[in-house]
Amino acid sequence: QEQIDLTVASSHPTVVPWVGMIQTHFMARTDELLAETGTYQINWNEAFGGQLYKANATLSSVEDGITDIGWVFSFLEPAQLPLSQVSTNTPFAVTDVPALLEVIDELLVSNEAFKAEWEDHNVKVLGLTATDLYDIYTKEPLEGIADIAGMKLSAPGVLGSWLRGTGANAVDGALTTFYTDVQTGVSDGALSLALGVLPIKLYEVAPYINRFDAAAAFSGAIAINMDTWETLPEEVQAAMIEAGKYYTESHGQQMVELHEVALNTMVEQGANQNPKVTIVNMPAEERQKWVDMLPNLAAEWATPLEAQGVPAVEFVKQYMAALRAKGVEPSRAWDEEL
Amino acid sequence: MSPIDIGWISIGALIVLIVVGMPIGVSMLVTSFVSVMFIRSDMVAIRMLGQVANDSLEEYLYAVVPLFVLMGLLVTVSGVGRDTFDVFQRLLHRFTAGLGQATVFANAVFAAITGISIASATVFSRVAVPEMIRHGYTRKFATGVVAGSSVLGMLIPPSLLFIVYAVQAEESVGRMFLAGIGPGFLLAIMFCATIYALAKTQPKFVFDTEQTVVEQEFVSAWTVLRMATPIVALIALVLGGLYGGFFNPTEAGAAGAAGALVIALLRRSLNRRAFWRLLVETGQITVSVLFLILAASFFSRMLALSGMPNSLAVFLLDGPIGPWGFLLAYIALVIILGFLIDSISIMLIMLPIALPVASAAGFDLIWFGVITVIAIEIGLLTPPFGLSVYTIKAALDDPDLKVGEIFRGAFPFVIAMLITIAIIVAFPLIATWLPRL
Amino acid sequence: MSDKPAIGVPPGGHHHPVYRAWTMVVDGLAALATAFIAVLMAVICADIVVRNGFGGSLPLVSELGAMMVVLIVALQLPSAIRAGRLAQVEMVIGALEISRPRLAGLLNALFCLAGSIILGIVAWASFGILSGDWASGDFIGIPGLGTLPTWPFRTLITLGMSVAAAEFLFKALRHLHASFFSGKGPS
Ligand code: NA
Ligand code: NA
Repeated sequence: QEQIDLTVASSHPTVVPWVGMIQTHFMARTDELLAETGTYQINWNEAFGGQLYKANATLSSVEDGITDIGWVFSFLEPAQLPLSQVSTNTPFAVTDVPALLEVIDELLVSNEAFKAEWEDHNVKVLGLTATDLYDIYTKEPLEGIADIAGMKLSAPGVLGSWLRGTGANAVDGALTTFYTDVQTGVSDGALSLALGVLPIKLYEVAPYINRFDAAAAFSGAIAINMDTWETLPEEVQAAMIEAGKYYTESHGQQMVELHEVALNTMVEQGANQNPKVTIVNMPAEERQKWVDMLPNLAAEWATPLEAQGVPAVEFVKQYMAALRAKGVEPSRAWDEEL
Repeated sequence: MSPIDIGWISIGALIVLIVVGMPIGVSMLVTSFVSVMFIRSDMVAIRMLGQVANDSLEEYLYAVVPLFVLMGLLVTVSGVGRDTFDVFQRLLHRFTAGLGQATVFANAVFAAITGISIASATVFSRVAVPEMIRHGYTRKFATGVVAGSSVLGMLIPPSLLFIVYAVQAEESVGRMFLAGIGPGFLLAIMFCATIYALAKTQPKFVFDTEQTVVEQEFVSAWTVLRMATPIVALIALVLGGLYGGFFNPTEAGAAGAAGALVIALLRRSLNRRAFWRLLVETGQITVSVLFLILAASFFSRMLALSGMPNSLAVFLLDGPIGPWGFLLAYIALVIILGFLIDSISIMLIMLPIALPVASAAGFDLIWFGVITVIAIEIGLLTPPFGLSVYTIKAALDDPDLKVGEIFRGAFPFVIAMLITIAIIVAFPLIATWLPRL
Repeated sequence: MSDKPAIGVPPGGHHHPVYRAWTMVVDGLAALATAFIAVLMAVICADIVVRNGFGGSLPLVSELGAMMVVLIVALQLPSAIRAGRLAQVEMVIGALEISRPRLAGLLNALFCLAGSIILGIVAWASFGILSGDWASGDFIGIPGLGTLPTWPFRTLITLGMSVAAAEFLFKALRHLHASFFSGKGPS
C-alpha cells in the first residue's frame, strides 16, 4: 500500500457547512473509493479554519502550493476570477441551488474562458459550492421591500450592490461584525444567509427574518494545486474526481435542506426571547419589486470586463440560457439588458 | 524526517535563537522559512513568506493598533494621563500601593473601549509607568502591573478574542461579551489582591524608596473636577459612540484618537511639529508590535503545515483522561503554545480540535470560552514571546529597560490569572450567569 | 546593547554623502508611513460622519484601512531596524557585550545578516506578487461601488522590504567594523 501525504486547508472553520463537508463528503468519499482496491492511502494533513491562510488568499494559496487542496472563495477574488462573479452580478436569477451548481459545472466544460480563468491559476476544480438563499434580517418587521428605504443594512462587500436602488444603505461588514453592528445600532439589520447567521445567532438582535428567498450565488470551489494533481496516480485522480462530483451534488441538496433547518432552528431557539424570532414571508410581488428596483447590475459588471477582453456578455447569455434549460425562471432577464 | 519532527526541531531552534539574542521577529521568520523548505520546498517557502508579509496583516481590525497607540500618546502629551493618575492617586492614596491599584482600575475602565490588549499596554505604559516611578515604585513592578492589567482589555468586552471564539464555537458574540464581564471583574480584584500582597510581603519588589506617601497639598474639588473632565469626556465619547450605535469597536480607535487630538489642541499642548513627532513615534511602536504578529503568524502557519500541533493535541486530548483530565491538558497546552505564538493563532490551531471534545464532555461552551481566553492571555505575559511585554518595551523605548525585567514584574500577575482560572473552573456561574440570564 | 548611537554611524561619520542620502531614503519612507497613519484616522472618522450623517458607508474604507496597516509596517520597518526597536531578548547578548565584546559584535552582525537575507526574500517574493497583481489588474473594493488597483500598494511594500533588507545589511557591516576594525569595542 502506497501512502500519499496531502494537505487540505480552508480559510473558514469546519462549522461552515461547505467546509465541514470537505471532511465528511469529499475526503471521506475519496478514502472510501481508494479503500476498494487498497493500493493507495491518503494521509490528510488538515489545516482548516485559517490555520494556513486567511480569506484574502484562498486562491493564491492553492495556486502556489501552500496547500495541496483548499476551498477557493471566489466571492473575494473578483479580479482573478472575473467570470465566476456572474451569479452575484445577475441577482435573483436562481434560487434552485442544485440547478445553479449543475449549470456552473457544465459551463466549466463548455465555456473556454470560464475554464481558463481557473486553470490559468494552476488549479484544478474538483467540487463546487454555492450559498443558500439570502433574506433580510431586521430589528423591526417589514411589510414590503419599500420599508428598507433609509435603513442601514449590514452586507458583506459585493452584496452591497443588491441594495442599490432600494433606498437602503449598505454598511460594509462580515459575519464576525454583524451581531455587534446590529446590537449597537451601527446597522438596522443585515442582508444575509440563514446558514451564515444561525451560528452567529444574529436572530438574538435581529429577530425578524423577512423571507424573500432572494437568490443563491455560486461561491467557490474545492480545488487542487495542478502540480500536485499531476503527481497523483490515475486511480487517486479518478477517486478524487468522483468524490468531487459527490461533494457538489450532496452540497447542493444540503444547501436546500439545511436552509430550511436553519430557519426552523432560529425560530425554535428564539421562541422565548422578546420579541421572539418571527419569519415574515414576503409575497412574490415584493421580491419582484426588489429585483426591478436594482440598476442594470449585469451590464455595469460585464461592460468593463468586455473592454478588458473578457467575454462576459457571452458568458451571461450562456449562463442564463443554461438556467432556463434547467427549468429555472429568472426573475429578471439580465441577458436581454446587455 | 517527518514534517512533525521538523515542527518539533523548529521550536527548539526558535527558542535557541531568541535566547541568544536574535530579534524575535527575525528568529521566527528564519526558522519558519527553513522549516517550510524542508516540509515542502524552497519555492513554497518563498511564496508563503511573501504571502505572510503581504496578507497576514491585511485586516481592518489591525488598523486600530496605530490609532489606539496614537490616542495613548496624545493622552500623555496633553497631560490628561497625568491628571487622571493624580485623581486616582487622591482617591486611592490611603490604599496600599494605591497607584498600582489605580492602574488596574483605569485598565478595567479602558478595557470597555478597546478590543485588543496591545492598546491597553501602550496607553498605560506611557501614562502609568512614569507616574508610578515618579511616586517611588520600582520599574519592574510598574511595568509588570501595566503588562498584567493590559489583559483585562480582551476579557472585558469588547474583545477581539471573544469574537474569534464565538465564530468557531457557534456562540453569539453578544453572549460571549457578557460572559467576560464577571471574570473580568474577578481578575481585576485578583490583581488588586496580588498588588496588596506584594506590597505587604515583598516591599522591595514594589517600592524603590521608603517614603511612598505622597505630599497631600490641598486641592479643591473644582481642581479635581477640572483634572478629571478630559478623560471622562474621552471615555464618554468612545463608550457613548460605541453603545449609541455611532461606530463599531474598530472605528472607536479612530474616534478616540480624534477626540484626544481635540483635547490636546484645546489644552494648547500640541503644535504642528510636536504632532508630527507623535505620529512618527506611533509608527515606531506600531511596527515593532505588528512585525512580531506578522512573524508569529508565519511560525504558526508553518506549525500547521507540519501537522505537529494536531498530533500533539490528539495525543494529549484523545486518550482516556476523562473530562477533567482533558480540561487540565487543554489549559496546559494553551499556556505552552502561549510561550511561542500569538493569541489568535493559538485559537485557530487549538479550537478545531478541542471544541468537539469539550462539547462531547458536556462542558458549557460559554464557560469553556472564558477559560480559553484567560489561558490564552497568559501568553501575553510569558517569555520568550509575550506581546504585552514587548508592547511596553516599544512604547517606553528606554534602552536600559530590559524585557526580562518586565517579564519578572508581570510574573505575579500570571499566578493571579492561574488562580482566577481555577476559581472560574470551580464556580462556572461567574462566567455563565450573565449570558444565561 | 546593540543600539548605541555609535553603531548607527558609518566609518565616514554623519557627513558622508552616501550615508546622508541613505538616511533620507529611510526617513522618507518612515515619513510616508507616518502620513498614512494620519490619513487612516481621517478616513475612518470621515466614514463615521458620513454613515451617521448621510446614511451610507463610504466605499473602500475597510479594504483601504486593512491595506494601510500592511503599508505602514513595511514602510516603517527600515527606520525601526535602524533605531534598534525590534523586540529582542538581551539576556545573553547583553552579558556577552560586556565580557566578550568581539563575539557579541560578531553575533550581532550575524543576526543582522540573517535579517537582511530573510527580508531580502520577502522583498523578492513581494516583487513576484507585485508583478502578478500588475499583470492581472488585481484590485481591492467592489466593482460598481469603488475599486483601487493593488499594484501601487505592492510597489510600496516591495520598496519598504528592500530598503529594510539593505538597512539590516549596513547594520551588519557596522557591527563588524566596530568590533574588528575600529580598534575598540562596539560601544
Ligand atoms: Na475590551
Ligand atoms: Na508568551
